[in-house]
Parts: sequence; structure tokens; C-alpha cells
Amino acid sequence: MALKIEHLTGGYTGVPVIKDINLEIKTGEALGLIGLNGAGKSTTIKHILGLLRPQKGEISLNDVVLTQQPTAFKRQVAYIPETPVLYSELTLKEHLELTMLSYDLDEGEAWPRAHELLKMFRLDDKLDWLPIHFSKGMQQKVMIVSAFLADTSLLVIDEPFTGLDPLAVANLISLIKEATAKNKMVLMTTHVLAEAQQAVSEYAVLNNGTIEIVGSLQEIRTHYGLKPTDTFDKLYQILNQEQQNE
Amino acid sequence: MNELAKKRLSINFKQSLKYLMLVFNDFFIIALIFMFGALMFWYAQSMKTMPANLWFYKSIVGAILWLPLLAGHLVTLVKKADLQFLFTQDEQMDDYLKPMLAYSLILPTILLLLVAGILFPFATVKAGISPLNYGLSVIITFLFKFTQLEIEKKNLLFGNKISNWLINLLTLLVLSFGMYYPLIIIVGVGVVLSMVGYFIARKNQMFDWRYAVNKEQARKNQVYALFSMFTDVEEKQVNIKRRKYLDFLLPKSLAKENPNKFLYRRSLLRNPENLNLLVRMTVFAILVSWLVQSWAWALGMSALVIFLTVYQLLPMVNEFDSNIMYRVYPIVRKNRGQDLVKVLTSGLLIQWLLIGVFWLLFLPIDLHLLEAIALLLVFTLLVTLIYLPYKTKKN
Repeated sequence: MALKIEHLTGGYTGVPVIKDINLEIKTGEALGLIGLNGAGKSTTIKHILGLLRPQKGEISLNDVVLTQQPTAFKRQVAYIPETPVLYSELTLKEHLELTMLSYDLDEGEAWPRAHELLKMFRLDDKLDWLPIHFSKGMQQKVMIVSAFLADTSLLVIDEPFTGLDPLAVANLISLIKEATAKNKMVLMTTHVLAEAQQAVSEYAVLNNGTIEIVGSLQEIRTHYGLKPTDTFDKLYQILNQEQQNE
Repeated sequence: MNELAKKRLSINFKQSLKYLMLVFNDFFIIALIFMFGALMFWYAQSMKTMPANLWFYKSIVGAILWLPLLAGHLVTLVKKADLQFLFTQDEQMDDYLKPMLAYSLILPTILLLLVAGILFPFATVKAGISPLNYGLSVIITFLFKFTQLEIEKKNLLFGNKISNWLINLLTLLVLSFGMYYPLIIIVGVGVVLSMVGYFIARKNQMFDWRYAVNKEQARKNQVYALFSMFTDVEEKQVNIKRRKYLDFLLPKSLAKENPNKFLYRRSLLRNPENLNLLVRMTVFAILVSWLVQSWAWALGMSALVIFLTVYQLLPMVNEFDSNIMYRVYPIVRKNRGQDLVKVLTSGLLIQWLLIGVFWLLFLPIDLHLLEAIALLLVFTLLVTLIYLPYKTKKN
């Protein structure tokens, strides 16, 4: 049981942004995808979500291949985008109802969970509002609540901490920990490692469209020859240098 | 800033021209010529038979001259990004707005001259206004529009805003009564000019950027809404309304729902593009039926209206395709055409019901009318059972 990305090459209109990527996330694992802007993190995510067609390679989740059974695959994936994407016509309650309908959740079981999440993110008194009128942080909370409500085996989270207040960041981290404890998989892209490492112990470094190393932050430091006195930010300078040498 | 304004005006003019060419296509021009011709014929005939010098004629002239003032707000072409990039330019905005104000006067001036020209025979022959007084009234009406735009311009600064409705009401009163007592017009102009003077004298030069951006967006939306009645307008922004009072039309339980039906229902009720179309077309069918006062014509026209409503609502099927979450969620898109048919069927049956009820209220009730109501229902069902499934099959 795992997310398997095998020899994935892909991008936009024939131009490969990611090249021959291999990645595996096993049940109960959370993996952080790190790299500079334009390294291919979002492109990788778009492939996993079925928003881009792979030029080569295959993505499967718990033995369900994305290109062969897209709906069965998507039913196992929940996504929190970097920028909230909402339906302007739907109230907060209806966003949750749509999630229940789409993921075929039992209403009787889903609503107590939904109320728990809403309370955690202080949205429980706004069920009848149109989230399109919320602030960006509150909209992001709607995305988080919907994704964790879906109760899928894989959570894909793109830059989750931007715009969230510290309380929401702490809640999100505890939800990710809870998810991995329940044998779910998490794939997260982020630049905010201080927060991420509270929930994620394994990272994949993506640069120039390829994965250079998968390992713990300490293993990554060793791989790039960072001194104990160097901050982790130096890694990004090295990646930038590599890009310029390419 | 003046250069920026001119550049934006030139781009805006080209864009408006593009849409105007689409709106005033060959068929519409021909229809307009016919309609205008019919109106002028009716006007010429009425002028022969109409009694002269009735007491209310002068106020009618004033009120009609006032109508062109409703068209055309101050065009500022201020963009949201200006909040970021021009926010240091408060004191230069006066420079920026000068060409904007001149541009904003073009449309109302053309409309005023057109209306004044058409109204001239009635005003001078039937209402007994001397050509000199009439000419002066037109010039004063133009001055009212100028001051109205000047006030709109001054409203863009922080401080108390003068409502457009207040100015419009004042202008209507002055023009309607001023035709009897020219002194009122002069006093009215004096009041408006002193209001402008008060505004101009204000020390505050802080530009209210957020207000300006919202005002311009609202103005643009009005223009786009007008264009979108004839053609697709890609720049148009849709402002969704919650409309809680319509929630009773939504199913109480999710048991028989699926994601597509769930979304289409809410789009039909809350997206003004869709609901306004349904309401507009229904009102149109009712009005036409009332005007023709014949069951046969009412049936034919209403059937056409129902068909056109469906035809214009068909693009709803792809409405959510641009939403990434719609693609990420495991929503089966295979049968969404059928889901849309089910949702639109409810909408059309409500339309049929409303038209039927109004027929019973406004048309002579006889067996034919009842037959017409039944026939309209059959037509509606045929549209939903045969035409709609065929058109949505591909989706």
C-alpha cells in the first residue's frame, strides 16, 4: 500500500519540467517536497492530481493506476492547494456537503468529524456564509477542513502555512501527525521547514526537474556538504548554483 | 499621469468598439432601423392628432431631457493594481481624471443631442416652449451632466460623498418644474454649482483608492452586463448572491443528490447570469402575452421564450470546468449533461407555471386559454425530454 511515482516525465505542452522522477510514499509516511521556485514541485503535484498528462511513466496509489482508473484513484486523494480554490456559489456548509457527496462519505459519520474540524479552525459559526467572502486565511482553513473531512489515504498539501495564523498552523501540524498515525500518506511542499519538521521527517529535494536526494534533513545536509554551523537556507544557495551551472 | 490616462482611454475605446461592433451587427442594425422608423412614424402621426398646450407637457419635456443624464458615469479606468502601484500619486490624480471626465461626457452628450432633436417638434409646437428657451434648457441639461460628473470626480477623495441619486432627483425636479418657471432652472444650477464649489474648495486631497476601484468595477460590470446581453464578454465578473430566500427550492436531503446536480442547482439560483436570465425571460414572456392579448400569440411567443431560455442556459454544463477542485474531486463527469437536464427541467416548469398563472390573470379566460396552458406545458416537456438531452449528450 503506497503512492508510487515511477519514471515520471511531464510538464506543459510537451516541454518536460520534471524528468524521470521516482518516488514512493508508504502508508503512515509524510514526505516533504522541497526545492526552489520553478524546480517542479507544483508540476509533480499536478501530475499526482491528474491535472496534467504524463509524457512518460506511471503514478499509482494502493495499486490503482491514475491513468487507468482516474475516479477510483482520485477518491483516495485529498488536496489542499497553495491558494484557496472555492465555489463562489456554495456556502461553507455546502462545500462540506459537496465533499461528502464526491467522496461518497456517510453523512451520519462525516458531520461529527466536520463539526470537530470546524470548531478546531473556528469556523463553526460560519456554516451558512459564502466562503468566497472570507479572508484568505479563513478560505485556506475551509480547504483544510474539506481535505481532512474527505478521509482519504493520501493528502497532498501545497505550501500549507502561508496566510495561516499560528494557532491554525499548530492545528494543521497536529492533523498531519494524526493522519500519519492512522496510516495515511502525506505529500507536502513547503519552504517553511521550521514548522514542517514537526510533522514530516523525510524530504525529497527537487532541483532542475529531478529528485536529487530523499532522506532526513540531516542526510540532506550531509549530501550537500553543509557544515554544522550553516543554516539550512544555504541548501537553497547550493541549488541555485546548480541551476545556474546547468 | 495624463499620459497614462490617455493610454488607458485609448485601450478602453478599442475594447468598447470591439464589443459595439459585435452588438450592432447587421441584423440588430436592421431591427433598430425598423424599430426607430416605427417609433418616428408613430410620433409623426401622434403629433397630428395630439391636443396642444396641455398643462403637463412642459414637465414631460423636462423629464425626457433628463433621461440621457442617467447614462454614463465617470469613467476612471482605475484598476485594482493601482492600489499597489499608484498609491503615491494622490495629488496627481486630478491630472489623470481630466481627460477621463471629458471622455465620460461624450456618450451622454450624444444621447442628449439625439433626444433633444427628436423632442424639438413636441417641445416647441405642442408644449409651447420657445426655441430659445428650449435651446437654453438643453445647454443647462448638459451643464447638469457636467456638474454631476464633477461631483463623481470629487467623491473619489476621502470625505463625505454626495449620492448620485440625490443629484439625479434634484436634476429631475429642476428640469420638470423649470420648464414652467425658468427661474427654478437658474436657482437649481446655482445650487448644484455651489455644491461643486464646496467640493472643489475642500482641502483634503487624499484619494480614496478603494472606493475608486470599487466604483469603477461596478461601472464596468454595468457596461459588460449590457454587452453580455448580445455577446460573450470575457472580462465580465460575476458577483454571486447568497439569496437565502430561495433555499426552499433546494432539496432538503442529500440522499438523491450527486455532485453535479448539487452544483448546477446552486448555480441556477445564485449566479446572477443564470437566475437573471430566467427571471428576465419569464417577465418578457408575461409582458408580451399581456400586450398581444391573444392566447394564440401568447402561446407562440412564450414557447419561443422558453426555448431561448434553455438555449442560453446550456453553457452551464461546462461552468465548473475552470475550477481546479472540480477536476481534483472524484466527480464523475460522464453523465453531467443529464444532471443539468434535471435541474433545468425544474427551472422551466417554474417558468411555465408563472407564465400560466399570469395568463389566467391578464388574458380573457376561455377554453382556448386553458388549452394554450396545457400546450405550453407539453412544449416545455418536449424541450426537456428531447431537445435538452440531445444538446447535452456530448457532455
